[in-house]
Amino acid sequence: MKYLTEYRDAAIARALIDRIRSRATRPWTLMEVCGGQTHTIVRQGLDQLLDGVVEMIHGPGCPVCVTPLEQIEKALLLAARPDVIFTSFGDMLRVPGSDCDLQQVRSRGGAVRVVYSPLDALEMARRNPHKEVVFFAVGFETTAPANAMAVWRARELGVRNFSVLVSHVTVPPAITAILEAPDNRVQGFLAAGHVCAVMGWSEYEPLAERYRVPIVVTGFEPTDILEGMLMAVEQLESGRHEVENQYVRSVRREGTVPARERVEAVFELADRNWRGIGKIPMSGLRLREEFAEFDAERKFGVEGITVDEPTECRAGDVLIGRLKPPKCSAFATRCTPEHPLGALMVSTEGACAAYYNLARHRLGEPQGVTV
Amino acid sequence: MCLGIPGRIVELRNDDGFAKGLVDFGGVRREVCLEYVSDQVALGDYVIVHVGFAISKVDEVEARRTFEVLREMSLLDELEWIADPIDPDSLAPSSADVHPLPS
Repeated sequence: MKYLTEYRDAAIARALIDRIRSRATRPWTLMEVCGGQTHTIVRQGLDQLLDGVVEMIHGPGCPVCVTPLEQIEKALLLAARPDVIFTSFGDMLRVPGSDCDLQQVRSRGGAVRVVYSPLDALEMARRNPHKEVVFFAVGFETTAPANAMAVWRARELGVRNFSVLVSHVTVPPAITAILEAPDNRVQGFLAAGHVCAVMGWSEYEPLAERYRVPIVVTGFEPTDILEGMLMAVEQLESGRHEVENQYVRSVRREGTVPARERVEAVFELADRNWRGIGKIPMSGLRLREEFAEFDAERKFGVEGITVDEPTECRAGDVLIGRLKPPKCSAFATRCTPEHPLGALMVSTEGACAAYYNLARHRLGEPQGVTV
Repeated sequence: MCLGIPGRIVELRNDDGFAKGLVDFGGVRREVCLEYVSDQVALGDYVIVHVGFAISKVDEVEARRTFEVLREMSLLDELEWIADPIDPDSLAPSSADVHPLPS
């Protein structure tokens, strides 16, 4: 119980761990979808506390990590243009492209600005009418309502020097791709609570039914995750496969309806590449034709760019649970947060960075650590 | 960017029919879009905010607890960006002190 001592609900967490242990008659393998959940699991050592009882595979739920290299390359090209102010969430600045990142473009004089919200980027466009302001619209269903509103609002206000480089992905097609993989080991999912706060959970019901897997909508706190694990184990032990909601205090079945409606008004489903995984059919969002004038790819003619993934980074294997980060030959040696080979080592929600930071936290040793 | 941060609405604003509010995140304040929750929130309510947009309403106890857990788990990095005003001439974000949610 080494890590949980730092957590003030440790007694509840211990009770939940005891219940999972007593309920499980065999080892089970679950996947948490959300990068925030991965952060909690690794930081609190929940996987180690349930070693041999429940194996947690860390899913592809970190938006920074799954943004494909080709979208990063497009971002770098746009950011280097003298007529462009390129705006982005802070976590995207250090994601490596083929030979540099946005931070380096900025240090070479590119106008790269970190914004907290896409509405800040829109405001920047209004204040800089002689510049083109591009916002890097990345993320899952949690950021889609914000990005949809920024585009909607730009049209409403007639802000023509604003556009978005869209790299939106959605969770259910990723779950489908994982379940369809021939070597899939995942027997149940903890769905991302904050994604479901927006979208609700009705779209998970056909997945649970078709693939006969329990899916538990789960929050990101240690006790949430343990309770979600317990609910999934209860289902597996009793042969059920339903969508259940652990995160009742934030999530309703229908989600946040006005946000869903705005996302549907601005975006449509499209095939998307996932970094390290490849193309997943209808797994992302693109702007609808009526919003084409706000599409940075069309505006600046960068639609056709494709890039090969770096060969040494095994992000794809990590993202679908085939490889735990410390088992990667580059982990903490040729790949560190300071010099990342791939995005999983950059974001605080990335599985590789989560393991790296834990090892550093425990050993007080920034380089060459093993877990 | 995926984890919502709870904050308290301390001022309601209306920008030509576009619902906004000033939200306090443990002492750090910024304007937030309230369009998606405008039919269910009032001044003083707590909301979960994703990248500048209130996505759902929460009660005060839950908001305070969640904020504390985010702090304990070092997941409040976003407040650094939240606090940063839009300044086209500024390149570096300012850092922000993180305080408990106000009463």
